Order: sequence, then structure tokens, then C-alpha cells
Amino acid sequence: MTTDLKLGIIGAGRMGITHFSIANAHDHAEVTGVADPSKLVTTMMGKYTGVGTYKDYKGLLKGEELDAVLVCTPPAHNPEILDAVLERRLHAFVEKPFMLKSSDGERFAAGFDAAGLVNQVGYVNRWNDMFTKAKAFVDEGLIGEPLRFRSEMFSGTIVRDVGEAGWRATHANGGGAVYEMASHAIDLIAYFFGAPDSVGGTTLSKVYSKQVEDIVASNLFYDHGLTGSIYVNWSDASFRKPTNKFEVFGKKGKIQVDQHGMKIFLAEANEAHGFKQGWNQLYITDVFSSVPFYVRGIEYTAQLFDFVASIREGKPVRCTFADATADLRVMEQLFADDAARAAGDAA
Amino acid sequence: MTIDRIVFGDNQFFGINHMSQDKAQERAERFAKLDNVMAVYDHAIEAGIEGIMLNSNDRAKGICDRFRAEPEKYGHLRWYPSIPYPHKYASMVNDKGMVGAVQEILFAQGAKSAFGKMLKGGMAVATLDAVKLMKMLVDQEMEIYHDLDVRVVFLQNIIVDLMLGYDVAEPFVAYCEHIRKKYGAYPGLITQNLPFLRRKLIEWGIEDVVICASINKIGYLQSPGVEEYEAVLAENDGEKYPIMAMSTLASGAVPAPEAYEYINRLNVQSVVFGASSPGNIKQSVSLIEGAPA
Repeated sequence: MTTDLKLGIIGAGRMGITHFSIANAHDHAEVTGVADPSKLVTTMMGKYTGVGTYKDYKGLLKGEELDAVLVCTPPAHNPEILDAVLERRLHAFVEKPFMLKSSDGERFAAGFDAAGLVNQVGYVNRWNDMFTKAKAFVDEGLIGEPLRFRSEMFSGTIVRDVGEAGWRATHANGGGAVYEMASHAIDLIAYFFGAPDSVGGTTLSKVYSKQVEDIVASNLFYDHGLTGSIYVNWSDASFRKPTNKFEVFGKKGKIQVDQHGMKIFLAEANEAHGFKQGWNQLYITDVFSSVPFYVRGIEYTAQLFDFVASIREGKPVRCTFADATADLRVMEQLFADDAARAAGDAA
Repeated sequence: MTIDRIVFGDNQFFGINHMSQDKAQERAERFAKLDNVMAVYDHAIEAGIEGIMLNSNDRAKGICDRFRAEPEKYGHLRWYPSIPYPHKYASMVNDKGMVGAVQEILFAQGAKSAFGKMLKGGMAVATLDAVKLMKMLVDQEMEIYHDLDVRVVFLQNIIVDLMLGYDVAEPFVAYCEHIRKKYGAYPGLITQNLPFLRRKLIEWGIEDVVICASINKIGYLQSPGVEEYEAVLAENDGEKYPIMAMSTLASGAVPAPEAYEYINRLNVQSVVFGASSPGNIKQSVSLIEGAPA
């Protein structure tokens, strides 16, 4: 492809405005239209950046000649939006958790694949240098066969009583720690090992929220024997920034990794990597990659530039609609398992 | 334009560090006490530092109050505020959405403020002029530093780099003009994209702006890369675009002697660093060439 890609942004919240900036800085991409219900946002965007502005996706798809869209709306809106995007035959990048139901996810994964359209979901940890490095170590057998993992995520997002307003307040709109945060912890597991086959012993607990969970805890099982756990808490004020912690235990050692660093314990030294027997430490400064333009983190640019490269050059997609749909199945299992336990308690 | 060759930063107090949780916790506990924060500043001043960069976070007002309370001891210091405190806005937007966040910030000023009057006058947030809005937000942040000798007002990289991607001159022009006129200070821009930002400033005809950027041997947080940074620094006019280097130790990946040996070779006008032990502060001051005696 020789001409520049024309992109439209649907939903100009925090992620939408970030992706706008990054995509616009790409040498072969240009944002030409933005859709958002907020008049404040569209007025400013239109006035200062000169893009076409629309109050919703319908106007954007009608008013702009686009190659692709970046969908950054609350997930409850996404089925309707993606139906229209698919009909227009546009490539699509969709923010996580992509959909609220795996059945919708399956439908769009199949539809976009059949139409030959690039489809990607914004599980940005798959582009974090620390996590990609850790996955490479596990894949090459550095710690032997993985036997047990732990995927945790913490933040101080909800640390006081919240009202019932806003899209975050209910599951129907995509609110709650499962959709908004555990989705990241689940996707990290899926990135390393594929999606698990079943879950058990799930508890979804409230701290401040009225209708949705603030803490998610569960166990995950693979038919081939691998097991692990997930613990996600977005009401933990001791974390100022959202933090993922991931640990894999294997017969020959273990890896503990977060966005900034990695600890590796090995039963035997590994000369190829220069790792000694016992503890080894890697920092992000040891493994970072560089990107042409930086806004919120290297991984945000890397994922969006990959999306452009997939459209222009056919680069394989690291997180497809199908990948995100597999995560949704796990989320549905968590809801069902927690509900079954609660029903059992009541009986 | 002259800016301090060495500026003392605040990352050691509030920064998100990449070290162990135990160390992070220990540090958070230590600097929860304002006396412990001031003790570190006193070590820095004793080492000859006269320039201070301080982000407008929720601790900044208390710190500035302490400096204002003792003019004979601290009155000679020159200030390099960085605004805004991104986390404050991020959580507000999380809670209330973009419009709600703007409203909350404006209403927080009270009915008698300029905002209050405007809002009472029936002006809806949605129709506010963006430049006017930006100036009001800047003024609100700058209230923290009243009566201090402010030399440069830095805009945080999260804002600068976001706007840089939009490729529009107007907000940059308006910010720089406002800082010059209202505060008699130099506008400063913090960025992780120094070559790109400088190219745009030249294209837009914006001069006399201090650019603060990560500059370290290993190229950490330097987009697009360390070679491009070195090339741009070599040809940069330090009068038009004075450069302040930050993250010179690359989060501890480069030892101080090596880090400053590298910085001293570059066409860099100023260095901002943070440290909390008297030994590390003295060491940094002695390693940065052109430092106060």
C-alpha cells in the first residue's frame, strides 16, 4: 500500500485521544475524523486539529472515506458499531475488553476474518517489553515445563464510595473489575499459555461498588495439567498506578515479572543468557525497545504501529478478535462460577 | 536566557520507582513526613544547589509553604515548577468523564473566582474557549507557587507529547505566551520526543523555550533513539532552545560517574536530578561540570 491510511476514531475518551495522537504521528497514517457524544471534546478537536467531527459513529462512517477505525467506546456499544464497520469493510482496532459476550465476539471474529479485514484488540500488555521478554523465556524452556502461574493486577481506581451513575456502574455497560481489569490479567495468561479450559473457586467481592465487583479471585485449569490463579483488586490504594504481576513456576526455575522488571530464579545457570544459578534480575532498562514516537508508554505506540503495519504490510496480528473472544469466555466462566457458589451458599 | 546548570528534582520523593516494593514502601513512609522532605532539600542547598523543580502534586503546596515561611533561608532559590499533576486529572476523568472533570476543576474554584463568575453568567463548559480554559487551568496550578521566584514553568510530557501528535501549533503558542506574560517566566516543555518537538517548534516559529527531556547513555525514554538525540543536540542553539536533561541515570541503569561523563560531553545547558542521601547529592553536584563551586 502506498497511500497513507485514513483513520477514524470512535470514542474520544482517555484511550481515544491517546490513540489519536499516536496514530497521527505515524508517517503513513492520518486521523481524519473523530466521533464522540461530548460537544466539548468534538468542538476542541475540530477547532484545533481540523479533523471532521461527528456526534456518533454513524455520522463518521457516512462523512469520511476511511480505511480503518479505532473503536474506543464503552464495550456495550461495540456490537452495534462493529456491525456498521464490517458492513463498510473497514479494518478495526477495538479497545479491550472488546465485547461483553463471547457470542458477539465469535460473530465479529468470524465476520472480519472472512472479509479479510485486520482486527485487533488493545490488550496492551502483549506489547510491553518486559512481558514479551518473559514469554520468550518461558517458550524457549528457560524454566522448564510451566506447572503453575499466578496473574495479579492491582490499582487504586475505586477507593471511595462511587455513585450509581456512569457506564462503569453496571455489568450491562461493561463496568466492574472483571471486564475492566481482570480482563488484562486473563489476557496475559492467554498470551503466555492460551486460554484456560475451566475455572473454579471464584469469588467476586465488592469493596465500594454497589452493583459490580471490585475484587476478582479464581483458579484456572488447563486439560493438559497446567494450573494457576488470578487475583485482581482495583480498590487497593497502596498502588498509585495499575500494576500487573505475573509469576510462572516451572521444574527448572521461576519467573516473576511486572511492567518494569523481572526476577528469574534458576536451578542451574544458563550460559546462553548469562544467567547464573539462583536469582537473576532484569530491569526494563535492560530490555526496552524504542519507538518512533512516545506518548504514554512504548507499548501503546508499538501496538498501534503494528496495527498499521498489519493493514499496510500484512504483519501478523498479535491480539485478534478471536484472542479477545477467548478471554471473554473465561470472564463468562468467572461470572457463572461465582454465581453458582453464591447460589450454593444461599441453599 | 540563563537557567540553573543544576536543578534539584522531586522524583526521589514521589516518583514511581522500579525498585522493590519494600524499598518503595520504606521511602513512601519516610517522605510522608514533611520534615524529612525538607531535610533532603537542606542537603541539596548545602551542596550548592539553587534551582528546584517541583511537580504540582498534592504535596507541593505544603512544601512551598515551608519554603515561603523562611525567606532568609530560602529566598534566593529559583523555581522550576512542572504542571499539571497528571494523576489528579486521570482519576477525575475516570470518575466523572471528561466534561465532568473539567466542571469539577472549575467549580472547585468557588463562585467568586473568575470561573464561578463565568459559569454563573451562563457560560456552559461545552462552549468554553480551549485557550481560555488552558490558561485558567495553568493559573490554578500555579497558585501553589505564589511568591516564589519562578524561572521556568514546565508542561508535563504526558500533555506535551499528546498534543505533539495532533500536530497543531496553537496550544503550544498559547501556553508559551501565557507563561511569559503572566508569570514573567520562560515556558518549558517536557518531552520524550525531543527531536520531533524541536523540529515542530522551529517550524511553528516558537523560540526561547526550555526543552526538558530524558538524556542518558543507553537511550532510555528517548524516541526515536539515542543517535537522533545526539545529532539534534550537536546542532541545537542553546540560546533559543536551552536543553535540560532528566533521567540521566536511566532509572539507575547507568552509574553516576559514567552518566555525567556522557552528559558533560553534550551540548546540554542544564541537568535536573533527584537523590535523597547527602552523599549522592554531593556526588552528582561534583560530577556535573559547570556546577556551582
